[in-house]
Formats: sequence, C-alpha cells, structure tokens
Amino acid sequence: MNKSTLIKGAMLIGLLGSTSNIFAQQQIKFKEFKLDNGLTVIMHQDKTTPITAVSVLYHVGSKNENPTRTGFAHFFEHLLFEGSENIGRGEYMKKIQGIGGTLNAYTSNDQTYYHEVVPSNYLETALYMESERMLHAKIDSIGVETQREVVKEEKRQRMDNQPYGSILVEVLKRAYHKHPYQWAPIGSMEHLNAASLAEFMDFYKTFYVPNNAVLSIAGDIDYDQTEKWVKTYFAEIPKGKKEIPRPTVVEPKRNQEIRDVVYDNIQLPAVVEAYNMPRKDAPDSYALDMLSTYLAGGKSSLLTKEVVDKQQKAVQVMAMPLDLEDGGLFLFLGVANMGITADSLELAIDQQIEKLKTNGITDQEFAKLRAQVENSVVSRHASVAGIAESLAAAKVYYGNANEINRELEKYNKVTKADIQRVAKQYLEKNGRVVLHYLPKSDQKK
Amino acid sequence: MKRFCIYTLLFFVSIAISFAQVDRTKYPAPGPAPQINIGEAETFTLPNGLKVFVVENHKLPRVTFSLVLDRSPLLEGDKAGLTSFVGEMLMGGTTSRSKDQIDEEIDGIGGNINFGSASASASSLTKYQDKLLTLFSDILLNPSFPQTELDKLKKQAISGLASAKDDPNAISSKVTNVVLYGKDHPYGEFETEKTVSNVQVQDIKQYYDTYFKPNIGYLAVVGDITKKDAEQLVTKYFGGWKQGEVKKVDWPVPVAPEKTKVILVDRPTSVQSVIKVAYPIVLKYNDADAIPVKVLNNILGGGSTGRLFQNLRENKGYTYGAYSTISPDKIVGSVSADASVRTEVTDSAVYQFLAELRRLDEKSITEEELTSSKAILSGSFGRSLEQPSTIASFAINTELQQLPKDYYKNYLKNLDTVTVEQLNGIAPAYIKPNNAYIVVVGNTGAFKDKIKQFGDIEYYTNTGMPAVTTTIKDANITAEVVIKKYLDAIGGEGKLAAVKTFKSVQEAEVQGMKITAELVVDQTKPIAVQTMKMGPQIVSKFIINKDKALITAQGKEQEAPADIFKSLKNALTVFPELNYKKEGAHLNLDGITKINDEDAYKLIVTTSEGDKITNYYSVSSGLKLKSESATEGEAEFNEYKEYQGVKLPALSTVKNPNIPVPLKMIAVEQVINPKLSPEDLK
Repeated sequence: MNKSTLIKGAMLIGLLGSTSNIFAQQQIKFKEFKLDNGLTVIMHQDKTTPITAVSVLYHVGSKNENPTRTGFAHFFEHLLFEGSENIGRGEYMKKIQGIGGTLNAYTSNDQTYYHEVVPSNYLETALYMESERMLHAKIDSIGVETQREVVKEEKRQRMDNQPYGSILVEVLKRAYHKHPYQWAPIGSMEHLNAASLAEFMDFYKTFYVPNNAVLSIAGDIDYDQTEKWVKTYFAEIPKGKKEIPRPTVVEPKRNQEIRDVVYDNIQLPAVVEAYNMPRKDAPDSYALDMLSTYLAGGKSSLLTKEVVDKQQKAVQVMAMPLDLEDGGLFLFLGVANMGITADSLELAIDQQIEKLKTNGITDQEFAKLRAQVENSVVSRHASVAGIAESLAAAKVYYGNANEINRELEKYNKVTKADIQRVAKQYLEKNGRVVLHYLPKSDQKK
Repeated sequence: MKRFCIYTLLFFVSIAISFAQVDRTKYPAPGPAPQINIGEAETFTLPNGLKVFVVENHKLPRVTFSLVLDRSPLLEGDKAGLTSFVGEMLMGGTTSRSKDQIDEEIDGIGGNINFGSASASASSLTKYQDKLLTLFSDILLNPSFPQTELDKLKKQAISGLASAKDDPNAISSKVTNVVLYGKDHPYGEFETEKTVSNVQVQDIKQYYDTYFKPNIGYLAVVGDITKKDAEQLVTKYFGGWKQGEVKKVDWPVPVAPEKTKVILVDRPTSVQSVIKVAYPIVLKYNDADAIPVKVLNNILGGGSTGRLFQNLRENKGYTYGAYSTISPDKIVGSVSADASVRTEVTDSAVYQFLAELRRLDEKSITEEELTSSKAILSGSFGRSLEQPSTIASFAINTELQQLPKDYYKNYLKNLDTVTVEQLNGIAPAYIKPNNAYIVVVGNTGAFKDKIKQFGDIEYYTNTGMPAVTTTIKDANITAEVVIKKYLDAIGGEGKLAAVKTFKSVQEAEVQGMKITAELVVDQTKPIAVQTMKMGPQIVSKFIINKDKALITAQGKEQEAPADIFKSLKNALTVFPELNYKKEGAHLNLDGITKINDEDAYKLIVTTSEGDKITNYYSVSSGLKLKSESATEGEAEFNEYKEYQGVKLPALSTVKNPNIPVPLKMIAVEQVINPKLSPEDLK
C-alpha cells in the first residue's frame, strides 16, 4: 500500500516535472573542522554577493536554567551586547552597523543564537568580535542593571501589552510539570532581580565556552583564509572546565486533558491547543511537520478552508510544531471571528482533526502536500544567513551539519498513511492542554 | 647540541609570534572593499504595452512573476474600502474556476499567488511555471467576482474596523493621515462601516475594467529562467490581455501647518501614549535632495544609532524605541517621527522630539554621524542585492519614479559624495519643528494641560472625525427645551404619561446565531422582566423591582449585586426623560456635536445618585440619537417607527465593554399598554 502510493507519487512528479529539474534537493557544500578547545566551525562559500554571515550558536537555552533563576539565558543574550574587555559599552551594535553590517540574536528553550551579516571584507572584524564575546565578555553591575531594565521593557511590550502575547508562557507552564520547558525563555523578572553578579559570571563560565558552541560562516569567503582567522581569534579561548548541565528528566506523557481560561486585552477570543510531541530528532518529526502543513499551510489546507473560509468561525487558524530538543508541542492557535465563542471554535477545529484521524487523506491531497514541502525546502536556503543558521542547528541537534542536505529525502520517506498515523498517535485529546483566551471584559461577569 | 638549541629557540619564538599577532586591543583592518556588482535586468515589451523585466538567477530552481500597475492614487469617497477588496475578489473565482479550485490548484504545486488592487505576484518551483502562469493569468484575465465573496470580505472588513477603534496605533495613523492630507484626499480618506457597506460587485468590476490594463503594467520575472523562456511564456499567457486608456489624475499638494498643532485622541484605557510628529513635504524620489535626505533621516531616527533612539530610549528610558521616516512621493511626501511612551512622560517625550528636530536644524551634524550613516545605508543596499528580486524592483522603480537610468548603478557613489555641509544646509528645508502636527493617542486627561505649550489643541475621535463641540448661540435653547422637543417628537408628554405597561421584543444576529431580548415593564408596580434568548434557549432572565433584582442564569438564581442593580433599575422607566425633573436630576446642555454626521444637542444628565448619562438629541428632528454611560455602555438609535402613536427606536446599535461586537438590535414587536398577566411578570 505504502509502496504503491510512493510509486504513484513519483510518477506524478515525473510527469509534471521537466527534465532539467529533478525531485531532489540542491546540495549545500560546506567544510567543517574542530579546534582543540572543542569549538566546531562550519564554513559555506557562496560568492554571488559580497556579504558574509557569521553566527555563533551556544547550546544553552531556558531549559538549562536553574529553576530559581529563570530568564538567565535570554538575559545573557542582552548582556553580551554590552561589550568585552576590548570592546566598549554599547560599541558592539555601533561597530557592526558602522561597517555596513547588521546583527541580531535570539534565545529559545534550547539555544542562544548570535549572528551578523557584514560586507565580506569585514569578515575578520566579525570573527574578532564574536571571539571577544566568547573569550571575555564584560559582565559588570552597570551592564546587568541596564539590561535588567531593557528586558523588563521587552517583556511589557512583547508579552504583557501584546494581544495573545502570553500564549507561550501560559501553555508551557501547563504542559510541562517536570521538565524545565515549563518556563519560557523570558523567565521571571523576580529571578533576574534576585541574581547576584557572581551567579551571572558563573553562568558565563559554564555555558559560553567553545566546547558548547558552533561557529558558522557563510557567504563570500576564502576557505583557507577563514580557517586561519578562526584559529587566530578562537584557538586561544580556553575550553570550559565545568560540566555543562543538561536536563536529564523526561517529561512523563500527559494522559489527562488540562484546560484553562486566560483573560487578555483582546477583542476576539482565541483557542490554543497543545499536544505532546516527540524529541526533535525523532523520525516522526518530518511527518508531523507535513501534518501541520496539511492542517493549516496554504489557503486550501484543511482548517483554513473549512473553519476559516467555509464556516467563518475563525479569522485565522495556525498549526505549529514547536519541535524542541527534548520533545516539544504541536500547537494550534485559532482566533475566533466576531461573535464566535471559544467553545464553538474549539469544536470546529476538533471536528476537522477527528475527520482526519478517521478518514486519513487522499492521494491527491498527499501529492499536494509533497509539492508544498518541496517548495519550502527549496526556498529555505535563499540567504547566506539562513544557511549559516541551518548548518549550525543541524550540527547541534542531529550531530551532523549535512542533515540539511537530506531534508527532502526524509520528507520523501513519509507516506500518506503516516500522516493519518501521526495525527492519531500525537493529537490525542487526553494528553492535550486547551486554553481559551477571552477578553478581559468577560472576567468581571 | 648548539644547533638543537637554536631550533628550540626558533620554535619558541615562532609560537610567541603567532600569539602576539592577535592584537585584541583594536579592530582588525578590513580587507579591500569588494566590488558591488549590480546585475542588469533584461527587458522587452509586449505589443499590448506590458513592459517586462527579466532577472536571471539560477541559484535556486524557482521563479517569481510580479506585476505592478502604475495608476494615479484614487479617491474612493463614499465607497472607501473598495480597493482593499479588489485583490481578494480577483482570487475569489474565475469564469472556469471556483475559489476552492483556485486555492487547491495553487497549493497543488506548492506555489503562491497574491493579488492587490494595483499589484500581483506568483511564485513556484521553475518546473511548475506553466501551471503557475495558467492560474495567474486566469485570475488576472477572467475574474468572475462572486457576490458571496464580497459579502464575506465586507463582513471581515467591518470586524476589522471594530477592532481598529481600540488599537492606538491604528487610530494614530488614521488621524495622522486625516490631518496631514485631509479627508478628501486619496492619502487622507479612510473607510468606515458605511463606506464599506456601500461597495457593490459592480464597483469592483468597474475598477477592474478601468485599471487592469497591460499598458500601465510592469512585470518582473525573476529566478531560474532564461530571457528566451520568459519571453515565450509571458507572450503566451499575457499576450491576450487587452490594452485600454487609463487617465492620469492630478491631486492637490497638501502643505504643512503654519504653526505647530497638537492633535489629541482620547483613549482613557491607555497606559502608553502613541506620539507621532508629522507633516507633509515636497520631495520626490528623483529630486537631487532625495539621497542626502535619506542620510538626514538616518541620523535623526533611522534606527538604533539614530538621535531619537539614543535620546528617548538609551538616555531617558521613555520608550522601547523611537524612530523617524522621511518618505518621498510623487504627489506629496512626509516626515514622521514616532514612539510609544509611558503616559506619565508624554509631554517630556514630545519636548525631546521637538528638541531633536530643532537640533538637526542648527548645523549640528558631525562627520562621525555622517560616516556611520553612510555605512549603514550602503551596507543595507549591499545586503539587499542578495535577493534577485531587488534587481527587478530597481528596474521597476526606475520607471515608476522616473529615476535617471543609472540611478541604482550610481547610488553608492552618490551616497558617498554627501557632505556634512550639504546636510546642514538642506536640513531646515525638510525638518520643521514649527510646522508640524503632534498627534497623541492616549489618556489625554493625564497630560492635556501640560501638552498645550507645544501648540493649539484639536480633538479627534477614535474613528478619525474631529471631535468638535460647538457652543449653542440661541439663548432660548435650554436643557428643558431640548427635552420637551424630544418628548414632543416621540408623541408628546400626554401620550407618554399614559403609558403604564410596555412590551418590546428585539432581535440581533451574531454570525448566524439569533439573540432575542424581551422586555416587559409594568410601571405602576413597578416591575420589569428582561429575558435573553440565544436561539430558542433562554440564557438569562432578570426580574427587577424597586429594591432588588433577581438574576436567573444557567439554572442558578441569585440577587444582583448593588452596582449591577443600579443600572438594571433603569429598566423600570420606559421614558426616563419624563422623570428627570421630578427626580431632581441635574441637566447640563454641553453644546452641539455630530452623531453619525447629524447635528445633535449633547445633554449630560447627573442623577440624584450621582450617575452620569450623556444623551444626544437631534437638532433637526428632536429625536434621541445616542445615549452613553459608564455603567451601560452606549446605544445609538438609528431608526424610529411609530407604535400606537408613540415613536420608538426600531433599529438600535448597542455597544458595551462586555460584548466584543456592536449589536444591531431590530425591534420585532413593541406594544404600548399591553395587558400583562402575572405570568408575564415572573
């Protein structure tokens, strides 16, 4: 059954496709080496535009935090723009922008990621600056005080003041009871207020070490010269002496539905559903990703067509696999249309999921799904910054940067029956968290 | 032995040198600046006038087609909102495909197609380009404009407008556009529930027939495709598109105010004020000043290195970000600087905005700022070239904005020649702190006295209308007269006083769900019973009498808390105006204002218990148009009908903080002095 579908699928593609393009992925070539201090370095050359992306992925996220010191990883993302022994306060951003570059950083539950894109003649500058961050960032009370305030503003703006902005925080704290995924990267302001300078220093020495990082460089580079510069600036950084704490606790499978109401400054009610997902590197990740496309990717996707377009119960429905290293959540977010209650929207979403579980999907739908996946895999590597990030993430989470070249192969292994199977297996009502977001004005009643 | 020693020494030295090479105290010197090559777009024109640009880039096996129509801005007037529907209406069906089929077929190749009112784009893997263009051209050339789709879009737009009334940023940009350009200018007009409702399928068709013409179109083809293939495909799919004349329209050029004005929009729930300092300027993309002005803006507030960000965020901590934009435009450009700040620092923040604008006019720009801004702008230009679509948009912009042919080729060179003297020289022509509108959306009560130092204050409503209240000049018009006029208009005091009992059944529809509200009143007892039904199901019942109210909801009966009872009690009186005098209410006539474009007397009623209710009575008809209070929200009375000689609202719109959508209540039954059985009052 599975085989015949695959063959049919392949034939269909063969007929549609022209001879010059095959249903295979373009290969991203790269070189990789490791310094004695444990730093992994990945390089990708693309000389089409004279720019270079430089990024460092530190394998530390909110899940590595002490439960009484949440928000540390994200706080560090701010702190490490404060400067180093050689780079003055506030100079980091100014310098990168002043050489015509751009920079940013983010923190997730699993990682902290810093990146710059600079004109290619400034590659050495960018490497120097990242090495300063890793070797001797400036962590002092002025920097800590300043960034505490900025982080509070960020929380106000992005969570407290943003309609539906607290979804991640609210879902995580109900979905995880043992695993440190139970708190979101923004963490607790009280914890940050209570932390001493020594604790910050300790966090830096534990996690910001070469053996916990991947440096990736993509763009207009010369491989030999780049390797030389990397050694010049990074080789002297000492290897971390401490053991890097990683959570070993396994979140027990939830087997009872948890539901709750959150009141927010919103006009339209929203429904959030969160289901158990396997570890990021589990084989089913690909099928689950395709499932999310089937459910809510594109205008003809199941939930968009049925719930948004036909029933007009929602203005928008999203299905997002939050695929975390130790096992994430398959999230649904539906924002109700005017006058539609959260209950009625939840019912409408659930009915469609049940339909899928019972009937599975058709050959035609499966062919469509594969075309959508193929398009998104191909489009993913349109920028050197994107390539640098994919390479680093593949190395950290799959142990092999070359996994980015095998994505399509992995997706191709997913069968039509797999889509129905993973829907049945993971979208279980009795393991889920359901949140209703309601307007604050409803709370008074 | 000696030789060995020397070797050791050499080895040692070389190691020492390799470490010493890292001088961490300063930044490494950059390499020689790389050549920035700006690719050329190939071009050809179809016989129907469609101008096509092709940018080959074979890095990824995909291709994008983007279309731009060069039409003059359009005044939509009483059909404002029309253009926002055009794109979705085109995607809503063709003569041979339903919307479902279109969606299905686009997803079927993993592609994307989007349409706007003057633009469209389609992209997919190159191997699906034929299918993609089949769909794209079918939507473009054979739209069917289904009525059902328009009904859906109008509904969504009206929901959107309701939410926008609460969104301080949406209010700010709406009001800013109105004051900058005027309500009757394409850049200043905005849609209302009314204008959106006015849009008909015929209007969309007419728009399409007028503006979707190849001779005003520019099509960019970008990606894994050769010019030859592009030419063949474009001819095949767009060759049959019929040309037609499209007229150009000139619009007046709004000017900056003579004196800086403060525009306030009251939003009492705000904890932050959205501040915008803005005014129109004359600046076109092809003006010689366009590039220097870009640098000027970057120094003022282009990003995190700009003066506004450094001052208001880094230095004062008023905000998470403060930025400025200077936009050139064919008709009229604009300068705009904005930030969201804590309510308490609103006036201080406005002060800093104006101070920064003034400082820019005082020859304060430094060489260092110029160098940094040039680097930022050239860096972002360089990075943008990574996307092949940039080259195509350069080619299209060159045409649309009538730029010199080599504008983008020379962009970096021209940017580099900008000098400090030049910037200091042109700044006063563009930076005008004394001719600006300061638009603030926030809790105005907290800062209105402190903010008037910056200019005369004008109030606007959250729907973009001037919140004008004119004073009443006629001394004969008093509160009592207004009330008498109203009572006369609905039947006269005599008839109204004879009303003992009353019954009213009203219905509203919310997304297909019918809500029925039934009210039965016996004023003699007094007792009132209010029943709410959702479909056939009773969801709540209130039994109200003089000293208490019982609420039955979800099978539970309970007494209403004091504050709720206070507002429920109003139901005992059918015509409250009859009793104002008797009950010692204080009446304050507060001028004439507009309710939905109709002049109305504003009457503030303070009851003997201290509650405030504001009523609005039509100047011409005397009828009550609107009533609002903190406890009960607001009700608009849109339509009156006569019931047994008494005029009552037949259609009203009820808004309340507890309901997310305004409810349109339609009276299905209203009876004066019905016979009420004891059963009715239970």
